Amino acid sequence: MLETVQLTKAFKGKTVVDEVDLYLDQGESVGLLGPNGAGKSTTISMISSLLKPTSGDVKLNQKSTIKNPVDLRKVLGVVPQEIALYEELSAYENLKFFGRIYRVPKSELESRIQDTLEIVGLKERQKDLIKTFSGGMKRRVNIATALLHNPKILILDEPTVGIDPQSRNYILEMVRQLNEQKGTTVLYTSHYMEEVEQLCNRVYIMDHGKVIAKGTKSELLSILSNEDTISVQPNRIDEEFLAAVKKIEGVRKVEVSGEEINIIAKKVSNIVSELVNVGERHQVQILNFQMENPSLENVFLHLTGRTLRD
Amino acid sequence: MWTFLIKDLLLFWRDRKEVAIIILLPLALVVILSLVMPGMFGEGSEEEYDLDLALVKEDDQERSLELFEDHLRQTSDLSNNEIEELLIGVRAHLPVEGLIEYLNSPELAEWVSVEAMEKETAQAEVEQGNLDGALIIPEDYSFQLLADMYLNEPTEQALSFQADDQTMEVEILSNVIQSYLDHMNLHHAISSAGGEVEVPSEALPQGQVENVEGQQSFSMDQYFTISMGALFVLFLAATVATRTGIEKRENTFKRIVLTNSPPLYYLFGKTMGTFILAWCQMMLILIGSHLILGVFSDHDITVWVGLILMATMYALAIAAISAVMTSVMLRLKNSETGDGIFMMVIMVFGVIGGNFVPIYLLPNWLQQIGEMTPNGLVLATLIEWIQYEDFSILVMPTVILMIIVIVSLFIGVKLYPKRGDVS
Repeated sequence: MLETVQLTKAFKGKTVVDEVDLYLDQGESVGLLGPNGAGKSTTISMISSLLKPTSGDVKLNQKSTIKNPVDLRKVLGVVPQEIALYEELSAYENLKFFGRIYRVPKSELESRIQDTLEIVGLKERQKDLIKTFSGGMKRRVNIATALLHNPKILILDEPTVGIDPQSRNYILEMVRQLNEQKGTTVLYTSHYMEEVEQLCNRVYIMDHGKVIAKGTKSELLSILSNEDTISVQPNRIDEEFLAAVKKIEGVRKVEVSGEEINIIAKKVSNIVSELVNVGERHQVQILNFQMENPSLENVFLHLTGRTLRD
Repeated sequence: MWTFLIKDLLLFWRDRKEVAIIILLPLALVVILSLVMPGMFGEGSEEEYDLDLALVKEDDQERSLELFEDHLRQTSDLSNNEIEELLIGVRAHLPVEGLIEYLNSPELAEWVSVEAMEKETAQAEVEQGNLDGALIIPEDYSFQLLADMYLNEPTEQALSFQADDQTMEVEILSNVIQSYLDHMNLHHAISSAGGEVEVPSEALPQGQVENVEGQQSFSMDQYFTISMGALFVLFLAATVATRTGIEKRENTFKRIVLTNSPPLYYLFGKTMGTFILAWCQMMLILIGSHLILGVFSDHDITVWVGLILMATMYALAIAAISAVMTSVMLRLKNSETGDGIFMMVIMVFGVIGGNFVPIYLLPNWLQQIGEMTPNGLVLATLIEWIQYEDFSILVMPTVILMIIVIVSLFIGVKLYPKRGDVS
């Protein structure tokens, strides 16, 4: 349905999106995962026709949209990362304005506004000015505005940044329902691994402007099939101890996360005893020890040596 | 386009601080400045003066006319009919009669008291300081003046203005009399050249500041009303551009681009919105100032025709300029830079256009440049209009403003980013 071909964007000689190939089939929910600065938003801007690529193409049903994005825009609903709403207008007035310029037929506009407000759960607050809304409510209106013209494809660029867990869950559930019940194709970008895991059938992982991995969740996790993910909680963490852990045979990655150390290591039988030995040598006591099922976060760590929130 | 227009007007209306600044601030400034700085154009000076002038008329006009008729018949080659016609014309505009009528006209009567006296009495009163001056019209002055005017015979007699001291009052009286004579000479010169000029008595110089034939006085509160109106309407263009910057920064513009609405609808919505706001703002300032200060109370409804016409043309020009600013703002990487640039441009326009200091205080070359700015042009035009109420005054500025509208709209459209590729 929608695909990018060798999509590249360079600003002042610096390549921020580098030959990205991705596709979305009808009714799919696809995640675009990557840390801040990975190039996700730039990719989204190019797919949305807001930014002209330096090279490459964006195709809708095999047809290039670069020169004439009109058809693409008709089927596309874009939820930008920022709250793209008029703060001095009410939720209803915002929706009415954007509905009109989306050319929603007059006879349908009112019902479409009410339906959309129903979806985002803000029907009761529709007359209130956006500036009086909480961050989570603003994000919901931000999504509602993108749904007014019944788009076939919904692109959401980090729609849950900076909001409370309740609003976040509401948004995730809403996106899931749109995908499953209305058949809306979804491209969801986030640096929250768990959101993408929860919502998406397939995932693209981006880092430094490139797609470094892609596939279904199980395909991506299979990258770690020969490795164990171990979470260790020592009584203290120092550089010497970390260096010694990294030298243990079979250890691939070591990452400190708060008071814990996440270790990805080859499936070897003696990793636990080796860790205890290293701890004794450096007078570090292992307080807690846990073998974890690998997650996309672990996959990202494995691929880049960094966590998504770095 | 109407959707964009309604949105812009609604957003403007919701920003009460902006509404207050745009409507109330200029009105408040007009009132304050008018109260703090009255008389900047010299208006009010006529009320301050109470001049006393003695009029000594030694000239007998009937005798002068008889002398002139005899002299004509003896010395000129004119036929009897031509002489009769000339005498009818002379009787209709007797120069000394005109001068006396002028000195006793209601306009001068407010600040000049004229009293007929014998020569000796008048001279004594002036010497004692009871009178500011005495105008002596010598014997046969009319005859000699007519001989000079129609037969080019040098005048031996002259009007005599006597004063004890060279005071401001004396100078004003002297200027009043001299300006009448200058006017009479001009009138005669035009008539002699074949022109048919009828000068009504009310067209005579009035002895006020900026004296020009046929004009009404121009007051400080009128100046402040127009200059503040023009200035704040100019600010409106920058306000609209700033709002565009906000729409760009807050990504609502990107969202608009994604709706597939024709790109220029946004621009024309802004332009139309600016026109409506600018027009309303200008009219509110004009009407508000009039209601509060009675700025145009000396004028009839005609003055409003010109005011409305110029307000309309000015609002159109400002709207078109806002189109340029909007397009530039969309192209600029940093909207704060745009705000700064536009504010600077407007301040320069305001200064050279005479919105901050009266135009006449500026050097001539700067005045000429100032009148090339829409605000300067409107200010200069309306100052002239209020004084003369002659529709021909409005023609050229209207044409110039229309050219500004067309050129600005063209530039605005050309600069408008295609397909939403905003910086």
